[in-house]
Amino acid sequence: MLNYLIRRLLYAVPILLGVIFLTFLLFRVVNTPEHAAINALGPKSSVAAREEWIENNGRNLPLYRQLATHVKQLGTFDFQPSTVTKRPMGETFLAGVGPSLCVTLPGFILGLWLALVFSLYQVFVRHSAADRTITLFCVAMMSVPTMVYIIFGQAVVALGLGWFPVSGFHSGLDGVRFLVLPVCIMAIAGLGYDARMFRAVFLEEIAQDYVRTAHAKGLPATRVLGRHVLKNGLIALITLTVGQLPKLIMGTLLIESFFGIPGIGNVMVLGIQTSDEPVVLACVFLGSLFYLAALILTDFLYAAADPRIRLS
Amino acid sequence: MAAAVWLAACDNNPHPPALQKTRPDGTPWVVRYQAIREDPRSFDPQYTYDQISRKVVEGVYDTLLEYHPMKTDPYELQPCMLAEMPVKAADGLSYEFRLKEGIKFHDDPCFPGGKGRELVAEDIQYVFQRIADPAVESPFQSTFEECLAGMAETHKAAKESKKLDYATQRVSGVEIIDRYRFRLRLTKQYPQILYWLAYQCTSPVAREAVAYYDGKNGREDFHKFASVGTGPYRIVSYVPRSLVVLERVPNYTTTVFPSDGFPADKAERLKPMAGKALPFIDEIQLSIHHENIPRFVLLRQGYLDLMGVDKDSFNAMVSPMRTLSPEFQNRGMILEPAFEISTFWISFNMDDPVIGKNLKLRQALAYATDSKRYAEIFYAGVAPVATQLLPSGIFGHDRERPRRYPFDLEKGKQMLAEAGYPGGRDKDGKQLELTLTGQGAGSEERQRMEFDQNCFEQLGIKVKANPVTFARLQDIEDRGDFQICTTTGWGADYPDPENYFMLFYSKNVSPVGKNYFRFRHAEYDRLFEKMVVTENGPERLEMTRNLQQILDDECPMIPTFHKAQYLSVQPWAPLTHNNLMYEVDGGHKYLVTDTVMRERLQREWNHPVLWPLFVLGGCIVAGVGAFIRGVRRSKNQTV
Repeated sequence: MLNYLIRRLLYAVPILLGVIFLTFLLFRVVNTPEHAAINALGPKSSVAAREEWIENNGRNLPLYRQLATHVKQLGTFDFQPSTVTKRPMGETFLAGVGPSLCVTLPGFILGLWLALVFSLYQVFVRHSAADRTITLFCVAMMSVPTMVYIIFGQAVVALGLGWFPVSGFHSGLDGVRFLVLPVCIMAIAGLGYDARMFRAVFLEEIAQDYVRTAHAKGLPATRVLGRHVLKNGLIALITLTVGQLPKLIMGTLLIESFFGIPGIGNVMVLGIQTSDEPVVLACVFLGSLFYLAALILTDFLYAAADPRIRLS
Repeated sequence: MAAAVWLAACDNNPHPPALQKTRPDGTPWVVRYQAIREDPRSFDPQYTYDQISRKVVEGVYDTLLEYHPMKTDPYELQPCMLAEMPVKAADGLSYEFRLKEGIKFHDDPCFPGGKGRELVAEDIQYVFQRIADPAVESPFQSTFEECLAGMAETHKAAKESKKLDYATQRVSGVEIIDRYRFRLRLTKQYPQILYWLAYQCTSPVAREAVAYYDGKNGREDFHKFASVGTGPYRIVSYVPRSLVVLERVPNYTTTVFPSDGFPADKAERLKPMAGKALPFIDEIQLSIHHENIPRFVLLRQGYLDLMGVDKDSFNAMVSPMRTLSPEFQNRGMILEPAFEISTFWISFNMDDPVIGKNLKLRQALAYATDSKRYAEIFYAGVAPVATQLLPSGIFGHDRERPRRYPFDLEKGKQMLAEAGYPGGRDKDGKQLELTLTGQGAGSEERQRMEFDQNCFEQLGIKVKANPVTFARLQDIEDRGDFQICTTTGWGADYPDPENYFMLFYSKNVSPVGKNYFRFRHAEYDRLFEKMVVTENGPERLEMTRNLQQILDDECPMIPTFHKAQYLSVQPWAPLTHNNLMYEVDGGHKYLVTDTVMRERLQREWNHPVLWPLFVLGGCIVAGVGAFIRGVRRSKNQTV
């Protein structure tokens, strides 16, 4: 197992280097030093000031040297402070993780739970009118972009019905009322896709021999589905769900931006809008790192959940 | 249980509780709620240059001079921290200033005993030392390097020694006369320096604060986010990407509400406020919202006191008659136009062998430009069509001046023929092809470019569009790598004609300066140099008219429009000033808010509608029932 872990970690290195290289190309080659200086100093800055900025920030060095410095900085987690706010990335990241998790964690758990409930129910009543109706709803929900849920939530639920604040974030118990709407939207926005996916997994599972055996032994359908099928189906679902864990930390771009949640997603949106190179680079790098970690974790959980799988 | 949580959460007011409920005298604590689009970049007045930061900083740091809040045509300066207007020396090369006595920095732990000390003339030397200090990265250094004696030397010396020694490396052009008086010595006549003294970049910061805060929180430059000024407010909290809260400073006495200059339509309301102590508002909550929709919803709910009408809310708020839509009129809201001090144009590269050397061709293009329609399409007719370089509010702007090249396609075609391109073709029958460069990163920006492209192509010529990003456009303009540029303009740094006419001065040709038109004209230069050092008056007015005449005759650019927008203002927070040298929704110390009316209307506008909750609850119960029934029914099924 240790060999497997080492091998997976080694596989991750070229992927990370690829991500670093691509983002480097985007910011250092496509975006010329002059453009970076104008972004940092403003359109009215003098050419002399821009040249000084380029020199001070090492943007006049050969690209290979810039790339080497860039890889070294990211590899040692020595993230550069934001060019816009001058805030250190560590401070920005730590301040943002909490608010992001406040939305993504309950949104993820609620969404997962709803998808499980709906998909299991559909398996119970499969091929019935109820099953087809839920399927129809799921397809409809999959077809609606997240933006529409957000606008509906803000225009109808927050403004029209006046149930929740439209935007903002408070810490403590008072903050709950700010979170209900974005959490529900996050859960509902992914529900259609997840429920359809889970239903397919469970339907495949109930065609297995062990299910027929369980029924032949006289176990009621609820017990067969609720314990045996669910447990075995979850193995396949681990792959689907663990891969989403990085999103919990990195936040959700649209939801955080529209609901004024000061999380990492919000940091990234602002970073992109203001061409804040260190912020975008750090977020992309950390996002890839978490994603790779989640993939490795998936493999291990898969092995833990299914004794037939051996990591070697 | 879920419904209970849901119901418990039924409060849509997004604001945190105010710092206080009442003032010490028992009157209500007045809070103002406004929104900003982005995080402030810094609270350091010598460092920050962006509009968002200025909205915060202008409340915290008073300036030596300030703009009269209501005298805006033209804009006028008045003393703020100065006891009187500066006295200019006979040679125009120095100014003498006297500070008001008794101005105190805000109480802060950086001072002994936490009590703010008095502002003295030596603090002004410190301001200019900070501007010269490379470590502060002040974007204003190059401006003062050109006019203030000693700035260039101090900056250079600090760069060479890698650190500015504040005890020995002084800016020689800032001479301290006594405790309250100082003199600024200039390297050339530059009366416009006074405008920079009304800008926060020259606001005094306490050296104690810099020494105390730099190095805190593990940051060498933490002072960038500390705020110890002399203004009417201090920052009590800042949560990045969420909220900035400012609180009124007790015993602020530097300025009072003005007693003159009231605009006719507001005079009745404002006269009783004359001479009253400032500020009127005790607390300002600036919430940070990047998106337009949440801001608009908050305004409709009454949780924002004012908002600039953006494109997402325009159709809902403004009727086709350019008045407030009935829904918002019924709420008592007010629609205020805000004319920014800016001019936009289509620029020609005068070094270009085709466009730069052919006046008739430039004039033909000017006649083909339909700026009125442009303003109607892209600014809903709010933005005035530009007839000249100077926007209104700047001395020399001529309200009656007609557009030199009004939209006239036939005239344009005639000029094109005279330019050597009859029907858009040269003598060999080859169609004339020009390149139009402009911002084109977004769809709306591209549409703007396409509009200009279509205007020109109606002459029968071919126009190749070159859409680029904003930063790339700046670079292209500076390098002169274009034929015609569009979607560009100039927002005033200060309301003086020099700030606009310098864009065509031959010594400012890019990349040295901002004359990216590469316009060179000996008579223009001579007039400009004279106009710069002349006091406002009939003589200077004549000079600005002549300068404009040369630009009209030579046509190095086509003025298109002056940017403007609508502000939607709640009935409890009518504007008390219309001065856009403060930020659009800034000038906080002059603003008023009727909190009693706000609370009443907020209650009226925010009745939670509960019946859908019961429908939703019913649906959930029915769904759970159906679920259980389905499960029971299938319990004994064979799988």
